[in-house]
Amino acid sequence: MKQRLDTLKAEVMAALNKAASSREITEVKQQYLGRKGPVAALVKELGGLAPELRRAAGESINAVKKALEAEVELRLSDFERREQDALLASETVDVTLPGRRLPLGSLHPVTTVMSEIEDFFGDLGFEVAEGPEIESDYYCFEALNIPKDHPARDMQDTFYVNQDAVLRTHTSPVQIRVMEGRKPPLRIIAPGTVYRRDSDITHTPMFHQVEGFMVDKDITMSHLKGILSSFLKHLFGKKREVRFRPSFFPFTEPSAEVDIQCVLCNGSGCRVCKDTGWLEILGCGMIHPNVFASVEYDSTEVTGFAFGLGIERIAMLKYGIDDLRVFFDNDTKFLRQF
Amino acid sequence: MLFSYNWIKEYIDTKLSAVEVCDRLTAAGIEVDGVSSEGPDIKGVVTAEIISKGSHPNADRLSLCEVATPDKTYSIVCGATNMKVGDKVALAPVGAVLPGGHKLKKSKIRGVASEGMMCSEVELGLSAESDGIMILPDGTEVGNDLVSVLDGADSMLDADILPNRPDCISIRGLAREIAAVTGCGFTDKIPAVKDSSGSGVEVGIESLDCKRYSARVIKGVKVGDSPAALKARLEAHGMRPVNNVVDATNIILLEMGQPLHAFDLKKLTGQIIVRQATEGESITAIDGSKHQLKEGMLVIADDTGAQAIAGIMGGTVSEVTEVTTDIMLESAYFVPASVRRTSRKLGLNSDSSYRFERGVDIESVVVALDRAAELIIELAGGSIAGTVTDVYPTVKKQEPISFDIARAERLLGMSFSEDEVVKILEGLSITTDKTTEKNILKVTPPSFRIDINSQPDLAEEIARVKGYENIPELLPVASLESGKRSRLSTLRRRLRALLVGEGFNEAINYSFVSPELIRLTGDDLEQCVSVVNPLSSDQSVMRRSLLPSLLENMRLNLGRSNEELRLFEVRPVYSLESGKVRQSWRIAGLLYGNRTGAQWNRNDRWCDFFDIKGIVERIYAGLNLEKGVEYSQLEEGDKYFKTGQLMHPGKSAGVFKGGRRGVHIGVLGELHPSVAKTFGSRKTACVFELELGAMEKGFQKIRPYEKLPRYPHSIRDAAFIVDEQVTYSEIMRSISKISTKVIDNVEVFDVYYGGSVEQGKKSIALRIIYRSADKTLKSDEVDKLHSTVTGELVSRFGVEFRS
Repeated sequence: MKQRLDTLKAEVMAALNKAASSREITEVKQQYLGRKGPVAALVKELGGLAPELRRAAGESINAVKKALEAEVELRLSDFERREQDALLASETVDVTLPGRRLPLGSLHPVTTVMSEIEDFFGDLGFEVAEGPEIESDYYCFEALNIPKDHPARDMQDTFYVNQDAVLRTHTSPVQIRVMEGRKPPLRIIAPGTVYRRDSDITHTPMFHQVEGFMVDKDITMSHLKGILSSFLKHLFGKKREVRFRPSFFPFTEPSAEVDIQCVLCNGSGCRVCKDTGWLEILGCGMIHPNVFASVEYDSTEVTGFAFGLGIERIAMLKYGIDDLRVFFDNDTKFLRQF
Repeated sequence: MLFSYNWIKEYIDTKLSAVEVCDRLTAAGIEVDGVSSEGPDIKGVVTAEIISKGSHPNADRLSLCEVATPDKTYSIVCGATNMKVGDKVALAPVGAVLPGGHKLKKSKIRGVASEGMMCSEVELGLSAESDGIMILPDGTEVGNDLVSVLDGADSMLDADILPNRPDCISIRGLAREIAAVTGCGFTDKIPAVKDSSGSGVEVGIESLDCKRYSARVIKGVKVGDSPAALKARLEAHGMRPVNNVVDATNIILLEMGQPLHAFDLKKLTGQIIVRQATEGESITAIDGSKHQLKEGMLVIADDTGAQAIAGIMGGTVSEVTEVTTDIMLESAYFVPASVRRTSRKLGLNSDSSYRFERGVDIESVVVALDRAAELIIELAGGSIAGTVTDVYPTVKKQEPISFDIARAERLLGMSFSEDEVVKILEGLSITTDKTTEKNILKVTPPSFRIDINSQPDLAEEIARVKGYENIPELLPVASLESGKRSRLSTLRRRLRALLVGEGFNEAINYSFVSPELIRLTGDDLEQCVSVVNPLSSDQSVMRRSLLPSLLENMRLNLGRSNEELRLFEVRPVYSLESGKVRQSWRIAGLLYGNRTGAQWNRNDRWCDFFDIKGIVERIYAGLNLEKGVEYSQLEEGDKYFKTGQLMHPGKSAGVFKGGRRGVHIGVLGELHPSVAKTFGSRKTACVFELELGAMEKGFQKIRPYEKLPRYPHSIRDAAFIVDEQVTYSEIMRSISKISTKVIDNVEVFDVYYGGSVEQGKKSIALRIIYRSADKTLKSDEVDKLHSTVTGELVSRFGVEFRS
């Protein structure tokens, strides 16, 4: 028996050594270790042996079988691994080819800048308010201390849809609409679309503004400066210098124009800032008592500041866009850049 | 507006350069856009003194000088020989610019560094030849910009005068402002004209639009050319010289901001009346334009009719010409609104109307008259005839304002003493009186400061003279509340994010479109809001739908070979509803190109109806609003979106909420091929447009969590032939009525027409997923359920199952 087992073992090992693929190993396994193979046949012979011999013979068959099976598994997994490696190697792709991707969507730069501004003020507790774009003469001008014969109310500068309705020329009417219905304290930001009868390289008849205002007891011009400085530094970088200059708007007094150090030349003077080193960025001031009077606020009790800025201008500076008209062409070569 | 700095300096006593003055003015609220020098084209050349002169170590012909300004001493190598120690010279340090834009750089001459150069007149562009360097007069102060000390050189300030400061639209006014903000001295020019015997002209004012009218008669003038210097001054300020009389009035207009007009006295008949024009009255203005006047327009008239349009322009009849010998000189105050109205109506502007519209100083009317008279006599001879005429019915009273210093401090967030306030205000010619109350002053602004009327106006004056830069920056103290945002604004953000996620690019179009575009897209102009005064008819109608603009965008992009378009826009639209303007928000999208975008190794499929529908479905799903939204073929009478001609009749759908007869909330589908063609497209373009109003309510609602299934599902397919007319939604509705508890989901996985399928029929394959919440369904239980479903399909729709 032992001899036969040795011969069989040698035979199987020879067959395994000859096998060159996992498939051939499997064939060897089936041939020798399968149900009809020689090992199974030996096991069957055990029945014919004397009971005292049977146990020892069984054990030695089993040991050989286990050893062979282990050998098969070892070789099989070795082959399989090598075969897989070869297969994978054959599947190599050119990884520099472009990936399949869905088109990338984008937001209009006006939307992005507007959201950024809304978020900054939102974080400071400013509430977002809106108003209609077709606005009455009263909200757009009258209540904002813009007198009847003011040039802004002329057909020359403002789009009218009928005698007393205009396409709003600024988002300031929202100030009145909010204050009319509520009492201070108020912290409001009003983004929106505005229209002016003007069209050239630096003006489009439609553009976007954000108006902001805060009304409470003891709001001062130094608060206005504090908030706008931190806002502009947020938008254009901590090191950007900001300056406030006296200016004039009918709805604020005192009024100020705010400049930032030119973003292109950092103040040394260039074509964009007309060699002044500064860029005009927003208008602001302390809300005029006449405006408070039109919403029945007592200007000896409350004070407030208001400011307004053009979104396109900020977007142009942030992204280096040098032509205002591209904003509304909606050329996908433009839109996809944002 | 341009102002000569030399002219300004006739009024003020300052050592500041034009550039320094500009900086101060800008900081004080008069924005100066630039200073252009009228002298040589040089920059940064300064006056300096030679303090030592030695020889160059390596060159016999060169000298090495030390040249000093009060700030710095420069080492300069020089080739000239005409200078000595103590000479004042023109020094161009490194960085200075010489004519032709030549910028001086650091250089080494024969091994010795030179920090600039001493310039000759030729090098400065002052002369065509010179011997050696320019030696300045002994008394020249060093350290100044050379341009400012050169004879005849001038700087023009380009200042932006805001509408509240008409008092600064003149040399004298700006000089006064410079004196106030820099603290330098101001000397006014006082005319020395005297009345002569006899009476002046008689003038009657018949309109409240003229508050003051003064006049003088000058006889015996000799009209001719003005001196060259005066002409040059006019031209430098953008005015055309005419003759000495007219030029004199223009000089005073520039200098004092008071417009004047000279009439040829011999052409005037009878009494001068300032009155409203009569309807139909006409006049030819001196620029040659003819005008039909209307009631409400103010004129200066004699017995024969209008001789001038008040404050705007004189007429040709009484114009001063070479043969004029006697003149009537006018100086008046006309109400700004009146001048503005007339000027706009007639489309006629002038340097006069510009100033009257903004408001001249009523108290300077006669002073200006006399200054002009004086100048006319100086230039054209002649003499004053009679006394001055000055009709000033209601003398303007300067109302004092009570100024609460503490309140101004509270408004500005900075503090100042009463003495400081008084000093600043007096510097601005505002008189101040103490009151019995502490911190409260009674102040009276001068007549020319028509912009100062109230407490905050005065606060601004203090702040601007002190400088806004001195107001501290503080953050306000406020209650800690988060910044709320409206539902609409949140919805728009969600929608934008969803569409960007679908690969769409956001467009923003003008809200106004052309009537042609409205017509092309099948909409009704009657229901649109129109702009009364558009810039062009292309921008005259407020859009009622966003789709026309997106089609325009398609046209532009295809024209520029941008072939893959996924555009969307979220904006308001406007419509007229029973005469009232209504604004509502919509979102619209346009899809043109491959469904997934062009790729190098994938089968391309051009977009179609189901792609755009998928996008719309994802929008509603993304907002958790898909329940109750239905899609249905558009029918005649669906008035909400007038799309009959816009969309492909068979491949478009209305979007409804609450059933077919419910609310119409949107449209989607393929564009009508002829419309698509009009907008430059040869292939299928898909669009959608949805109302935001219908989304606003529900999108923030939280959908309660559904427990995950515990038992496995079983799948049964049902493939059948059915009449073409039977819609998917009808089939789905009938299945949903059977048993909702065990049918987990129904999916369509194939729809097929033609081929082996008989005409008028279609083949549909459904996959039905059965699942119980309580147990694992046995195969025969599922079969039984499935046969109920198939039985229902047979009995309701007469379907034939395919094997």
